[in-house]
Amino acid sequence: MASETLQDGVPMAGIVFAFGEQPIFRPGDAVRILTRTPVGHYRVPTYLRGKRGTVERVIEPAGVDNEQEAYGRNAGAKRHYYRIAIPMTEIWQDYAGSSRDGLRIEVFETWLERI
Amino acid sequence: MSETEHLLKRLPNDIGGLPAAPIDRTEHDLEPWEKRCHALADVLDFHKIVNTEEKRRGVEALGAEMVGKLTYYERWVAAFANILFQKGILTPEELARKMDKVEARWPAEPARP
Amino acid sequence: MSQGASGHDHPHDHDHPHDHPHAEIAQAERPGYYDIMETAVRELLIEKKYFGADEIRRQIEVLDSRTPALGAKVVARAWQDPAFKARLLENGRKGCEELGISFYDDTHLIVLENTDTVHNLIVCTLCSCYPRPVLGLPPDWYKLKPFRARAVSEPRAVLAEFGTIIPDDVEIRVSDSTAMVRYLVLPKRPDGTQDFSEEQLAALVTRDAMIGVVPASIQTGSVQ
Repeated sequence: MASETLQDGVPMAGIVFAFGEQPIFRPGDAVRILTRTPVGHYRVPTYLRGKRGTVERVIEPAGVDNEQEAYGRNAGAKRHYYRIAIPMTEIWQDYAGSSRDGLRIEVFETWLERI
Repeated sequence: MSETEHLLKRLPNDIGGLPAAPIDRTEHDLEPWEKRCHALADVLDFHKIVNTEEKRRGVEALGAEMVGKLTYYERWVAAFANILFQKGILTPEELARKMDKVEARWPAEPARP
Repeated sequence: MSQGASGHDHPHDHDHPHDHPHAEIAQAERPGYYDIMETAVRELLIEKKYFGADEIRRQIEVLDSRTPALGAKVVARAWQDPAFKARLLENGRKGCEELGISFYDDTHLIVLENTDTVHNLIVCTLCSCYPRPVLGLPPDWYKLKPFRARAVSEPRAVLAEFGTIIPDDVEIRVSDSTAMVRYLVLPKRPDGTQDFSEEQLAALVTRDAMIGVVPASIQTGSVQ
């Protein structure tokens, strides 16, 4: 995972951010969805594993990891979700529509790597 | 190489991109119990007795056969029962006895001549 | 103790919800297995004081109050009021709340504007996430495999099944809901409506147009 450095400029003197408080990725970042295969529960569909896209939006505020939430965790484990833009041609080798077509999906921070 | 690992790796609801039939646009109004079930889900989530993500995971955990054969709200109520048992909020015996009592409010079906 | 025709053996001031008056019980069918399970789960939880029967009754009323007419009103206002539209596109939930449409859960809303270059379609491949506070309950087809499986891989074929053909030089943008964000499509305003009142505009906006499977048009003209 990328280091958690502030990307938006200089924090107010004396301000220290908590772990996970700042989003790691920003709009415009090129990312790849990871390829791990959790059992039990996940919200990153198989059809998107390993696909490359661009961060379109940071969803605020940070939210609970929904894989853990599914087992009763209602607080803590909070990171950001990101709306990711992925071209259809990146997802489907034989995509039959327009080359302009695209997909958007919210992905939890721990599922993304910077490329 | 395991022949069965795909059953664990791909949840029964994870169907994006799979081949599928034409869309049937038939709609049905919710049965009263289905609407009550939906209200129950919302109340359970509000109180975080069973949150919405737990419900989703509970439906997935029913497994492919039940996910395929039970209807939408039937899956919800079956999942609720399981989750409430896991949390120690209800016991299987309690629910079974209560279901018998609820059923007994209705007259037994008349014997066929 | 009152006894209805079906043999209810509980006092009239019972504390579990009936959503049909007693007069109809005689005609009502014996409940099915899952109906009985739902009743049993709910009554046990109420007895154990996890919540009150009034909360369930109230939530049924909340659900009944949420229909596509709410979304249509949001769309019509956005068509007529550019400043509102800008606020709505910035934060969909806040925009709806401005019109008195409360969100009773923790979901967010992103409103997706259809333009001359982008046509939006919403789906939840994994389950049935849908902007319920502003549209009510989703149609069956939205929750079933054919739409959920194919909307992300062949959206143009799916739209064609609804009679919607989008030119190739217009991007189809499919949003797959998976977490806290829900979506509402803001359809393009039909031509020839410049003199329409907000009510007349809202009447053109159907549920299916706000999902993105059809455009809003002067012909469709009825809110489902």
